[in-house]
Amino acid sequence: MIDTNRMSEMKRLTTPLALAALILAGPAFAKGDIDAGKAKAVPCQACHGADGNAGIDPQYPRLAGQYADYLARALHEYKTGERKNPIMSGFATTLSEKDIEDLSAYFASLPGSKLTDLHGHIEGE
Amino acid sequence: MTRALLLAIALLIALPCAAAEKGDAEAGKFKVYTCAGCHGIVGWHNAYPNYHVPKIGGQNYDYLVAALNAYKKGERSHPTMRAQGESLSDEDIRDIATYLSGLTPAP
Repeated sequence: MIDTNRMSEMKRLTTPLALAALILAGPAFAKGDIDAGKAKAVPCQACHGADGNAGIDPQYPRLAGQYADYLARALHEYKTGERKNPIMSGFATTLSEKDIEDLSAYFASLPGSKLTDLHGHIEGE
Repeated sequence: MTRALLLAIALLIALPCAAAEKGDAEAGKFKVYTCAGCHGIVGWHNAYPNYHVPKIGGQNYDYLVAALNAYKKGERSHPTMRAQGESLSDEDIRDIATYLSGLTPAP
């Protein structure tokens, strides 16, 4: 015989716990280590600039201040070959999951970003 | 000697012009209307896969042209951006990249 009172009591406890775990785990997994990323970013600087603004050659994108999760996504796509770029796939295949998170956190954190959303830049706004 | 010098000067002037054959920023400003649906909302996320839609204002011109062409040719896999890229002519891409690369963040 199932004790329905106990069951509902358990549900009452586990639901908020599961929710809390989900909320806490989200940012914890997504967050890289900025300092570790800085140490790993030396090879990137040759093309993307020491400040991450790629001011030397416009064929390379500016990374400073870009969204970290977008940068991580791009690195994953280079790694898997979903994005095809001979230079970037060469680098990305050597990166671990942790490297990708750290590098993305570092470039997103850089000051002096020249990037912007299009908010306020569109005709008629 | 003088001829070599003249040639060198001519090249110095001509090369950057050839490289920087950009589009029309005014036309680009009109053509980015569609882009703003996703790239115009601060902190906007893709529905799936879930990540921030990148900031493209102020991005480098050559990179923007390369990225749009890569979407157009299917070398980048994002379905929405591929559809957008396919709808754009080379001139559209140059105009859009010219306008976007000229933007600066709000102070």
